[in-house]
Amino acid sequence: MTDSPADRVARYVDDLLHGRRPRRFSASSEEVEAMTAAAGLASSRVGADLPSKAALDRIHGRLAAAMDESPALDRHMTRRVLLRTFGTAAAAMVIGVGLDEVATRQGKAPAGSGGGGSAVLMPDSGAWRPVASVTQLPAGHAMTVSTGAVDAVIVNDGGTISAVSGICTHLGCKLQPDDAGRKLDCPCHQTAFGWSGKVLYFRLKAEPANLPQIPSRVNGDQIELFVV
Amino acid sequence: MVALTDLRIVPNPEPDDLSRTETAVYPDWESVYEDNVVGIYQLVFRKVGNAADAEDLAAEVLMQTLKTLRLPAPVHNVRAYLVKTARTVLADHWRSHYAAKDAAAELQQVPPDALTAPRNSAASERAQRLLALLPDQSRRILELRFLRGYSVREAANELGVTESNARVLQFRALRKAAELELEVLT
Repeated sequence: MTDSPADRVARYVDDLLHGRRPRRFSASSEEVEAMTAAAGLASSRVGADLPSKAALDRIHGRLAAAMDESPALDRHMTRRVLLRTFGTAAAAMVIGVGLDEVATRQGKAPAGSGGGGSAVLMPDSGAWRPVASVTQLPAGHAMTVSTGAVDAVIVNDGGTISAVSGICTHLGCKLQPDDAGRKLDCPCHQTAFGWSGKVLYFRLKAEPANLPQIPSRVNGDQIELFVV
Repeated sequence: MVALTDLRIVPNPEPDDLSRTETAVYPDWESVYEDNVVGIYQLVFRKVGNAADAEDLAAEVLMQTLKTLRLPAPVHNVRAYLVKTARTVLADHWRSHYAAKDAAAELQQVPPDALTAPRNSAASERAQRLLALLPDQSRRILELRFLRGYSVREAANELGVTESNARVLQFRALRKAAELELEVLT
């Protein structure tokens, strides 16, 4: 088979993108360089580099097996302690909840987030206020806006405009839109919300509330929010 | 598309408390493991880009450390040792799987603070910054492939080139990205 460096690297990238273990081959320095960059890019999706519970269990199993084979290791830690450790670490660290499950788990939404999972921010003395022109927000984009009193993120999802609070419900950091991932990232604690305000991902002791929704409309060429 | 099923909810039982690492001591393996297993996995994942290899390599790093490290030991010493071990294990992996020469294996450099630095949100941001620095065509092929999950054929159609050209374009773009990463971001 006479494939080129570009072909071999393409196959490597295909394996990464399909979540397969890449095949071994003899690579030139240039190929290794490209493959390193590919591995970095493949792992940059939020959450991609987190181990599943099954993976942690298997790592635990291997270490426990090594302990069995090598009594000398008992000097450092007994097998009993190891098992206890790995049991608790695995249980405490990873709960393998797929996104689908999160998205449909509305019954367990935290207090204050209302029926259906998200509260609607409806101020007592609100008014429709323009925050951006329609042309500023092409389809597939989200942008942060501020009315002074309210920080919001406005979203154009295939022509449908909506708005959610732009503040993370955990500790109040300003969210950053990630259009490619169709999500809003919290820079403080790796929490991410979907465009609808639902929690997609978090690394906290308790699940944060979904983002409150903010009433929005298009008036002429302006996007308006109902805010104070 | 991004593989959404890869997302996991991971409550962080012990948020990284960086202030304590200067003086704190790991009394036993329990604390070493609990504090670092996810960090080690993430560290190697970023270098190999796939879960199967990351799992093997994370286990290997922990195994080697388990065999040699004496406890109790200061947290920062243990973490430095874990990172050093990870570096060796990764270089071995690239040598044995891809016949990478020493110089190429050096590309597997892991920053010494890899276990205390911010984790995956930083990786994502870094990737975005890196892509933004690439020439237009290079950026587009990598965005289509890595962010939007296009196959080579789909990316080729989108860019109006042949599949073979798309593979060459991808190869060059990745090399450029690797060079930029070394030059600009380190």
